Parts: sequence; structure tokens; C-alpha cells
Amino acid sequence: MPEIKVTPLGAGQDVGRSCILVSIAGKNVMLDCGMHMGYNDDRRFPDFSYITQNGRLTDFLDCVIISHFHLDHCGALPYFSEMVGYDGPIYMTHPTKAICPILLEDYRKITVDKKGETNFFTSQMIKDCMKKVVAVHLHQTVQVDEELEIKAYYAGHVLGAAMFQIKVGCESVVYTGDYNMTPDRHLGAAWIDKCRPDLLISESTYATTIRDSKRCRERDFLKKVHETVERGGKVLIPVFALGRAQELCILLETFWERMNLKAPIYFSTGLTEKANHYYKLFITWTNQKIRKTFVQRNMFEFKHIKAFDRAFADNPGPMVVFATPGMLHAGQSLQIFRKWAGNEKNMVIMPGYCVQGTVGHKILSGQRKLEMEGRQILEVKMQVEYMSFSAHADAKGIMQLIRQAEPRNVLLVHGEAKKMEFLKQKIEQEFHVSCYMPANGETTTILTNPCIPVDISLGLLKRETAIGPLPDAKKPKLMHGTLLMKDNSFRLVSPEQALKELGLAEHQLRFTCRVHIQDPRKEHETVLRVYNHLKGILKDYSVQHLPDGSITVESILIQATAHSEDQGTKVLLVSWTYQDEELGSYLTSLLKKGLPQST
Amino acid sequence: YRDLHTFELQAPTRLIEWARGSRVYVAGYGQSDGNEILQLIPPPTLLTKETQGLCPERDFKVECGGFSERPVYSLKYVPDTSLLVTSGPPDSSLQVWQVSAEDSDIIKSVSPIATENGTGQSWAKIATISARAPWVLHGSRLDRVQITEVESRKNVYKAASGGSEELSSLAFLDCNTLLLCCATGRLCLADIRQPQSLVEAVSVPSVPCSEQWCMGTRHGAQGLEPSSQPVARLSSRGLLTLTDLRKTSEFLALAKARVPSPGSGAEFLCISWAPALEGCLAISGFDGTVHVYDTQSWDSSGREAEPIFVHKGHAFGGAGGSGDPPLVTVHTWHLQKPRTLLSAASDGSLHVWDWVQPCGKC
Repeated sequence: MPEIKVTPLGAGQDVGRSCILVSIAGKNVMLDCGMHMGYNDDRRFPDFSYITQNGRLTDFLDCVIISHFHLDHCGALPYFSEMVGYDGPIYMTHPTKAICPILLEDYRKITVDKKGETNFFTSQMIKDCMKKVVAVHLHQTVQVDEELEIKAYYAGHVLGAAMFQIKVGCESVVYTGDYNMTPDRHLGAAWIDKCRPDLLISESTYATTIRDSKRCRERDFLKKVHETVERGGKVLIPVFALGRAQELCILLETFWERMNLKAPIYFSTGLTEKANHYYKLFITWTNQKIRKTFVQRNMFEFKHIKAFDRAFADNPGPMVVFATPGMLHAGQSLQIFRKWAGNEKNMVIMPGYCVQGTVGHKILSGQRKLEMEGRQILEVKMQVEYMSFSAHADAKGIMQLIRQAEPRNVLLVHGEAKKMEFLKQKIEQEFHVSCYMPANGETTTILTNPCIPVDISLGLLKRETAIGPLPDAKKPKLMHGTLLMKDNSFRLVSPEQALKELGLAEHQLRFTCRVHIQDPRKEHETVLRVYNHLKGILKDYSVQHLPDGSITVESILIQATAHSEDQGTKVLLVSWTYQDEELGSYLTSLLKKGLPQST
Repeated sequence: YRDLHTFELQAPTRLIEWARGSRVYVAGYGQSDGNEILQLIPPPTLLTKETQGLCPERDFKVECGGFSERPVYSLKYVPDTSLLVTSGPPDSSLQVWQVSAEDSDIIKSVSPIATENGTGQSWAKIATISARAPWVLHGSRLDRVQITEVESRKNVYKAASGGSEELSSLAFLDCNTLLLCCATGRLCLADIRQPQSLVEAVSVPSVPCSEQWCMGTRHGAQGLEPSSQPVARLSSRGLLTLTDLRKTSEFLALAKARVPSPGSGAEFLCISWAPALEGCLAISGFDGTVHVYDTQSWDSSGREAEPIFVHKGHAFGGAGGSGDPPLVTVHTWHLQKPRTLLSAASDGSLHVWDWVQPCGKC
């Protein structure tokens, strides 16, 4: 049976780094190449030795696909392509290709400069890696080679995130990456057509979560910001260049407008231009509403949000500032943080996950005395809050996606095995498909039932449709033909044509049966008796007595001879061809019953 | 509001039950099979006494789940065991479930507790206690009330027949005393040591049109006699009565809630006492709101009472406009936080809310 093999090298049963190896119809594809943000040593990279033992990566892998720019999906890419060694194509969407190198470089800076790591990729490696990238558009079928093709679908989640369909012949796999089934302010919801893949690989990080409604989160976020600003404090929101920042900007802008607030909101320099530039570039990637309003008014040109200048941080009075980088590990956000940390009226709101070792991580863990450069101790009196706006699919969303795509099998990654049992049963019960949850390094084999297209000769088709009942769309019709496998093609032809093409002669099968009859008279008298008997019974058949002493019933031949040892017994030889099997068997059993007494 | 969190369940629930370890149970009541029983871990914000603002974990987590073939109308956790008992149409038998959170996240079905099913019986109302042994008190009608030991399935008690009215709820007042409330409003006390007798409490004011009643009992603070806590009854027309079980001949208080009339049926009538707030109770089931009342100002006049808070969230939630407005199916109080309630509605929403007391009492 043909099969699809899936081996997670990361994200098997943990949240951390996503890296999945798929083997489909002889092709090998790597899905995502993420970095585990929690580890400082080699555990942060997926275990590539699993594949390298098969030889050179470039020869083994047909392509690599990256779903989106989050580091737990692309963080190990430069390491993989430049340090382990891979020169084949790397596919990702245009926004991902544009944003990935920025994040990778940012991350490289923290790891090498701040933490002094040596076994890490360099800036040049990032550049070389990106040269191998082939950018794809949504819903564009990309031919990787003659047999392998891929197609990207919209996944929501972050700008440029995509779900990928990988197809070889009739077998296909869909990999979701991270996705979101509910639209938010600046991105739409994931969507896929009824592509009926053999396998759907879905993330299940939030499968066991029942999320607090977005409105409540936003309301609480705005409440906090408002309270701080009302009492004259300053709010610092460290953000990545792209992603949630836009969402929060739109949120604040709307709120400021509605409440007629006067406190200034700043977006740090460089950030505005870059972000707006990318969003404008990829406007087709945002949700419907934004695209529509973009024409009238640029959603990303805000009335209340202005560009930030370093000097503003010292201005008295309330303000809100969005600054990079997101984990407070360097740059402008850290500078501002240092200025404002000592005042308890101020607040810092961390909008996402922070890597260990960064200031962001430290303050979220509760540290209030931080050691800065030059042994300076910074006392953090400002309020520290955390707000997670990340968009992942919950159990309901996963079920929705499965309903949309109609896969034959489902494989879950990114969750904890014990806690996924319930979801597994739920999926199996509702959709009657098998659901798998492999651990890292564990290979799951899924048997597929591909359809093999066969050409049928017109002559055969005409002949077969003519006999039997009329074709009915609801009932399968049984046809007889010969399957010829020649020159990499399958054809269904009539037996005669098959014989002709293969240069074979048709064989004739003939059966002969001996029936013993007690009859002491001469042979020709026995034959006469048999003839009369048969003529009497088989009125609808042509029974003939031939001059040479044999009887024919249709095309079946009956001859009588005397038994060699016993003159009282006659042996009737009944012989027929394969085509006359039924009649032949009938005749034989009839004759075995014996002849009637009358002559 | 001091706090409001809204969640959306995949399927609406008509029960919210607290269990050990601060777990919450909800279950589906749809007609088709595939109803899920979910054991949820509330977000940390809900478990701590002080309310934090922006906490990283604000979500409910599904810890375990099970699949029920029949709609689940009632669920009770059996104390000191890892068993659950549920009931629901089409008959009055009970389903028993095993929870084993460490090994797997599936709630497994264990063999059911069958009951004799006479004609015209609906689903059984249940209550559990683990005094001498884990027991479940169940019955769909007044003459079919019994206590079954959950593990051995032995029948421990059968109540004397006091009529064949349908029950709307029942409860253990202590390990020997039962309180039964019929849909007609009749309230009966039974002592399991005296199976033949049933003591009746004062009847509710009878009205020409038939209305349905349900009751709420209070599990008071430690040390207080359970029977010293008044029992509240709520009718589908909005009448509220308070009865002191030591003086069953008269009402403690009578009031009327301001509810839309005619009521939309008594399917989801729910009344409950606040465990941490003296004299406060909440009612729901008339529309998309939950009312909170302070009964300390009530008397026996039966006039309209003013709620101290009305939660309207369910009426505004969801897509809006499509189909019927959501109906609150059930509500329950947080066991420690005095002004926090959880409520669920027919559109699958689950709200956790905490109101601000206007200056003055509480």
C-alpha cells in the first residue's frame, strides 16, 4: 500500500520548535525549521541527524517550506542551510521572505552580542540562506519538479502566514503551520477549499483552551492604558516590528477617537515607515475591511499616533509609546524602559513571549532589580503587565478547518499527548477519520488509497455500455476488460485487442467428461438411445445425430465407445468448450442419471 | 462591573458544577448524540481571591472530556471519589463516569444505574453526598425518590410516596435529611432514618394558571445547622418565597421578581444562594439576564423586589439578530469570591462576572 510518512523533528508533542519531515510518494519535504526559544544549547535546534544519516541533505530533501516568520518556525533556517548544509529550494510567501531576515538578524544580535554565543549563524549566513528562497503567492500552484507541486493558502495568524498543500500525483498533504479561524482587526481568518488531502497536519497548541473573548482582553488592555494615562503616567509597549503592533495601534487609535483623549501616542521611528511599508506592500494579505478602507483612508496612517523622537521620552506628562525590540533586550525600547522604570505611575505592557535572558523575560518573571551594563542596578517600580493577543485556533477552529478541507487523516502537532486524547476522539468520532499524535522523532505512517487513472478504449466502452442495464449515476457498473500496463500507462481494452497488441494467440479450452452407461447393446444402438432421450428433453436445443455416429447438442459433442474391459458398459465422452461450460455440466449430470428403459 | 470575562463554549450547557480542586463541569444537552462533558480548569484569575488585571492566563482549560450519547441535563460530582453522575432524557436512569486526570484526558463511561421506568417519567434530578458512603439521591417524581450507593449500586433508601408529581430539584440538607421540591411548588422534608414519613412545608400560593417551581438551598458557613438556612423557591411567573425549615407553617418572606411575562417556560429556571454573601440570591431562566437580590430587606407582603444587580451580558453577546435571543440556562456562584458568578446561555456563551456593590452594604 502506498504510504505517507511523517516525522516531527520538533513540535511532536511540545510547543517550541516546529520542524516536520514528510515523505510522500518518494518525495521528501521539510515543513518549517524552527528554533526552540527556551533552550540555550543544541536542544534549541531540531535534530537533523535523523535525516542526515541518509546522506546529503540537498540530495535527500526535495524542498523546504516555511509557513511564517515566527522564530519557532524559521529560527533554525540559517543554521540548517548554511551550517548543516542544504542548497535546495526554500519556499515561503512574499511577506515571510521580506520579514524573516529582519527577525533572524534581530535574534542573532541578542544571542551573539548579548549572550556571547559562538556556535550560531552569522549575518552573512542569513543573507546566503535567503538567496535560496523562492517566494510564492497565495493559491498559486508551484511546480517544484515534475511530480511535486505546492500551493499556499491564507492562514491568518500573522502577516504572510500560510498553510501549504503538498501534492504528488494523487496523494496530498496539507500543513497548517500556525493558523487562526477567527478574523481580527488587521488579518482575516484562515481558509482552505475542499481539497480532500490524504493527510492534514494541524497545530493544536490551543486545542484545550477556551479563550477569553477578544473584546474582554481588549477592554482590559484599554482600561489599563487609560488608567495609567489618566494619572499622568507613561505606558511603554515593546513590540516587534510587525505583527501585533498594528493590531494594537488600530485598537488604541479607535479608542482615543471615541474617548476624545489627548495624551500623545508614539510609534518609534523606523518602525512606522518599515511597518507601513510592508503592510502597504502586502495589502492583499490584510483582511477585507482594511483593504476596503485603505482606498479611502490609509488604515495605517493614524491621526493620533505620531512618530517618536528620542527626546520625547523625557517630556513630562502622560504618553503611550510603541517601541522595538519586543523583548526589551536592546535598542530604543530598552532605553525608554530605563528612563521610566523608576516611576510607579508608569506602566510597561509586554504583548508577547520573551526569550530567556532578555529584560522582558526577567521582569515578567517578577524580577524588580535588574543588573544593567557597567554593574548598574535598575530598580523597577513601574507596573509590569502582560497581555497576550496571539491568534491560534482552538478546538472549535480545528474542527472547522477539518470540516473545510475534508482530509482522510489528521495529524496533530504542538500539543501534549495526554491532553490531546480527548481531541483525538472528538475528531475521530465526528469525521470518521484517523487521528495521529506522534512524538518528536517518532514516525507515523499513513496508508493512502490513491486513485490510479486508467484510460479505457472507446470500443470497449461502447461495447460494455451496450450490454446490461442502462448506466445509472447512483450504481456502479461492472465492466469486463483487460488491464494493460505498458510504457508507464494503464489502459483498459477488450481481450481481443489486448491479445493483438501483445502478439498472443487465444487459447481454446475444451473439457471432456466420461459418463458410464450400463447397456449391453451395440454402440450405435446406445447412441440412438441417447439421441432420442436428449431430443425428447432438450426441445429448445439443436440436437443432431451425425453420420459418423456422434451426437451434437449445440456445439457439444457426445461420442460413445465400448468400455475396454466390460462389454456391458458403454462410455460416453462428452466434450465441450469453455464457453459452453454451463450446458456441458448440465448434460453430464443429465446423462449420469441414466437412460430411460424404453428403447 | 468590576470584572467581566466572556467565553464561548462549542456547545451550550445547562449546568455549571463545581468539583474538587476548583474544577468546573459543563456538558452539552443537544438532542443528537455526541454531547460532550467537559472538566474545565478556570483561569488563575478566577481562582485567586484578588482580581488581577492583565494576567497571562485568562482562559479556561479543558482538562478532560467525555462523550455522552444522551443529552446531559444534570451532573453531580460524587465527593471523595473520582466519579460523576449524570442524568438526562429519555428516562430516569443515571449514567456514571470515571475521571482519571493523571492517565488520560478522557472521562470514561461506567455502567449506568438503572431505575424502574414507569410511564410518563422524565429525567431524574440528582444530588450527591459522601457521608457514610458515596451516595446519589435521585428521582424524577415524588414517589420515585431513592438513594443508591454509587459504587455498589445498592439501594439504600426509598422515600414514602407522597404523590406522583414531578420533581424539580432535590438536595441533601445533611447526611440524614433530604429536601425535595416538586414542580408544583410542594416542598417536602424526609428523614432517611424514618422512611415512612414525609414532612411538608408550607405550600406556595396557588394560582389558576399552572406555574413551575424550583428551589435553592444554601450550604452555609461551617458550624451552622443546615436547616437553619432558609430555602428559596422560584416560580416561572417570578414569585419568590423564603421558608425557614424550622417553622414550615409560614413563609419567612414573599416577593416578586420583575420578569418578562409570560415566562418562556420553566426549562431553565434557576435560583441559588450566594455562599459568601449573607442573604443574597440570584435567579435566572426567564431571558438573557441574571438577577441578584438582597433578601434581607424582604417581608411577607409579596411586593415586587428590586434587584441589586442585573447581568445583561448574554443578551448582547453573539452575532445578534439571528434567531431567538439567548436564554440563560444556568448560573452558579463562585465558592469563595463573594460577588463573582458564572452564567451560561443557550447560545453557548459562558460568562464570569463580578459586580461592584453600590456604596452601602455588602
